[in-house]
Amino acid sequence: MVTKKNSTIRHFGLLGFAAIMIFPFIFMVSTALKPQAQIFDIPPSLIPSDATFQNFQDLLRIDGFGIYFFNSFFVATITTLGTLAISSSMAYAFARLKFPAKGFLYTLVLAGMMVPPVMLIIPQFLMSKYLGLLNTHLALILVYICMTIPMQTFLLRGFFEDIPRELEEAAVLDGASKVRIFRVVMLPLVKPGLAVVTIFTFLYSWDEFPWANVAVNEESLRTLPIALAFFQSQHLTQWGMVFAGAIFAVVPVVLLFSFFQKYFIAGIASSGLKG
Amino acid sequence: MKKNAIACFAVLAFASLALTACSTPNEEVAPTAADVSDEAVEPVTISYWHTMSDAESAQLDSVIAEFETLYPAITVEPTRYAYDDFKTAITTGLAGDIAPDTARMDIAWVPEFADLGALSRVETLVPGFDEISSDVFPGPLSTTYWEDGYYGLPQNTNTQVLMWNKSQFESAGIMSAPVTFDEFAANACQLSKGTDQYGFALGGTYFWAPAPLFYAAGGEVTDPSMTTAKGYVNGSGSVQAFTILKDLYDEGCISPNLLGGGIGTADGHGTGLYSMIIDGPWMVDIYKGSYPDFETNFAPIPAGAGGTSSVVGGENVVAFASSQKSDAVGKWMAYLLSEDAQVSMAQVGMIPTRASLVGDTRLPGYFEVFMEQLETAKARVPHPNWGDMDGAISNAFQRILNGDQLVQISLDQAAQEIDALLK
Amino acid sequence: MQVLFFLLPGFLVLATFLILPMGYSLYISFFDWNIVDPDISKFVGFGNYTEILSDTIFQKAALNTAIYALVTVPGQIALGLALAIALNGALRGKGLYRTLFYLPVVTPWVVVALLFEYIFVGQGGLANYILVDLLRIASEPIRWLADPVLAFVPIHLLGIWKGVGWVGVIALAGLQVIPRDLYESAALDGVSNWQKFRFITLPLFRPTLVFLTVVLSIGAMNAYVSNQLITNGGDPQDQTHFILTYMYEKTFSGLEFGPGAAISYLLAMVVFMVSVVQLRLLRRESALGW
Repeated sequence: MVTKKNSTIRHFGLLGFAAIMIFPFIFMVSTALKPQAQIFDIPPSLIPSDATFQNFQDLLRIDGFGIYFFNSFFVATITTLGTLAISSSMAYAFARLKFPAKGFLYTLVLAGMMVPPVMLIIPQFLMSKYLGLLNTHLALILVYICMTIPMQTFLLRGFFEDIPRELEEAAVLDGASKVRIFRVVMLPLVKPGLAVVTIFTFLYSWDEFPWANVAVNEESLRTLPIALAFFQSQHLTQWGMVFAGAIFAVVPVVLLFSFFQKYFIAGIASSGLKG
Repeated sequence: MKKNAIACFAVLAFASLALTACSTPNEEVAPTAADVSDEAVEPVTISYWHTMSDAESAQLDSVIAEFETLYPAITVEPTRYAYDDFKTAITTGLAGDIAPDTARMDIAWVPEFADLGALSRVETLVPGFDEISSDVFPGPLSTTYWEDGYYGLPQNTNTQVLMWNKSQFESAGIMSAPVTFDEFAANACQLSKGTDQYGFALGGTYFWAPAPLFYAAGGEVTDPSMTTAKGYVNGSGSVQAFTILKDLYDEGCISPNLLGGGIGTADGHGTGLYSMIIDGPWMVDIYKGSYPDFETNFAPIPAGAGGTSSVVGGENVVAFASSQKSDAVGKWMAYLLSEDAQVSMAQVGMIPTRASLVGDTRLPGYFEVFMEQLETAKARVPHPNWGDMDGAISNAFQRILNGDQLVQISLDQAAQEIDALLK
Repeated sequence: MQVLFFLLPGFLVLATFLILPMGYSLYISFFDWNIVDPDISKFVGFGNYTEILSDTIFQKAALNTAIYALVTVPGQIALGLALAIALNGALRGKGLYRTLFYLPVVTPWVVVALLFEYIFVGQGGLANYILVDLLRIASEPIRWLADPVLAFVPIHLLGIWKGVGWVGVIALAGLQVIPRDLYESAALDGVSNWQKFRFITLPLFRPTLVFLTVVLSIGAMNAYVSNQLITNGGDPQDQTHFILTYMYEKTFSGLEFGPGAAISYLLAMVVFMVSVVQLRLLRRESALGW
């Protein structure tokens, strides 16, 4: 039972914690509004005296910034859909189906989580070249799906295992095929998990840099993290621009997250155990 | 719901494939009417990778346009990379057998890549090589030579000079920039006020930072034939340079930022925190952009036992051995070294490598001090293991500053480490 | 077979871009690999591995990485779980809180690393301002990044700060999948809060806890971006490397592909063993009837 007093304490605690969490961001926004000359002022000012939108303007005037943004969005969306489809199927198979070498295959999937992605860049590059995928968005999409499948499968398998077997058995008695059970019974019950997969996969793809740097060098196909890297030249880091760009980069994912939060609650409400 | 998702995914996948197939760059450019007319020349596209800034890339585009007017059958496709990730991109390209045709790379990387067999010799590849090599500055040219021949051309060069804050100097009663080491050391301390202002700052302990003073003190890293560092990197000139820096550091006349995590030289000088720094010609455009009210002043590096000197930097244009388009590549490289292209890129701060252009009125005014300095500037060791040697000297410098070892002993250790790398 | 339908697409992708590349990497770790002309690469057997294991810089990097994992993983789980519990159940503004806490997770590593680097600038900077001028705990500005030990303060803080929201989101989802009805019927039976936690929450939360521990550990051992940006690859004096920053430097800066691949395989093996151990430990307890 949450009493009024309990609730107030919780709020204080959460607010305090939240302040620490987001303080760096407030600082980031404030820096984005400063001209370079003020960036290293002591004491660091939270509200800049010469607040200017110059950094944002310069950013938008950069050739192709909008294109980078769109490319990132496109690649991230397709990747997320792909990973959702594949990882949920695989997770279900590992959680509920019987087949030979199941343990071995699962270990193989998990191995994917343990491998340092950086180690794979060169062979992935060779493979993409062999398949004629270099300099295409498909190279990014396929590799991103590949790199996210292990963890998302691992995550979803846990969710599938939590579902009581009675539900499935009831459906089997009704004569449903495995595919139908999966689609109609199991998937809706792991909606919170699917929402999590969506957010994490999108985020991974949205922020990924090392692979995007080498797989695609055609200007019109490049992604957002590459654009941000250009603000760090050999000689000077344009902090204001970096953080202004970061704000642009953060907004879509925050929106995505806010949207999917409600899904958690909706998912619980439609839990099949009610009746 | 899932079937829908799969269907959507499939459609999108096909759509994206279609889109990307349409945007995949073609190897060959379709022949235009102009091509077909005179000679039956195959149209060809060559790639050129670089790390130029926004302004420099824009100027590059006009240079390319000029080149393509001269050679209508050749199209040059530039690709820009961020500096920090460039080596990775080149390396991956090489591993994947999709290296570019040409690239503009740091002079320090040329021996490394040449040693790997990744680069082509240029003596017969580039038309007019003899004329070019006799006209470019000897320092920069030496950075393209490895083992048996030349593996690139110096596209642009630079060096570092002293940058000093005139108004701070005048407030302290000093009317001009220091000319000798002694004056330099004295000025640095006169202009230091606790942590509010430092007379001098270095960008870090990597060799490039102290190198100008190192060479001006008469220091050398190795003997001319690169067989040993003993007696060179731990020789008297080197010891003198590092001793001065150590003394200034201990007295608080040099900013502690060089050990990491502090305010960089560009920002520090621009905000008046550092009265003197040593830096290159790119600072002019950087300051115009980020610190428009700041007045830049340049002066030659103060003279030590070796007179005034500095370190040679810059980039070389190279041709990759895997390229099949030697004819076009040779012409492109030759054009980049032509007077027209060199003067054009000079407009955005890239110093030409042709000695015949010294004093040319088409060059920006501030180039003069740099080009004069280039006459006495020295190149770093052009060896594939230079990266590790740099590390050895940098670590020695840090041990000296931290007081872990005396100057001579620290440099002796560096000499030992470098000898091992020279084998 | 229906099973194929579920497994085939995934394994095709994995085989192409993961398994085969892993094999390639393993292969080149046994050579003094030349990327331009692979045919002339010299076979060195376990030479690369022995060279790496006796490399003092690598040993320091391994130590740094282990400490990083031991500090940041428990830190993230403890704070994230506390967060999830606090947000579980009816609360006004829950959505807003969740979004706020999730902000660090959503921001690219590159940006967050730069942000912390900026906050911890040695001359001035926000952290020093707070410690010296506001709280008066320190007498003079600390040059964080110039010190091989203190340089890890921003890196560790960053690691925890960035992950708390992530853990919170997963923990919350994990808590909420536990059906309300169980709690309600337990309440009707007169079960105490602690008993509810022990017999309902914990057992059903176990898979999530296992997931979090394993994934965070793997992530910590694979840490790269934050260290690379803040210490520029091991400064000062190669003392602050993580295993992956050292691997990256060897491979792409030193062009030593064989040793680089060897490092990544050593890391992969350690990660694998640690994960297996963790999975066994955490799952075995659940078999005890929790």
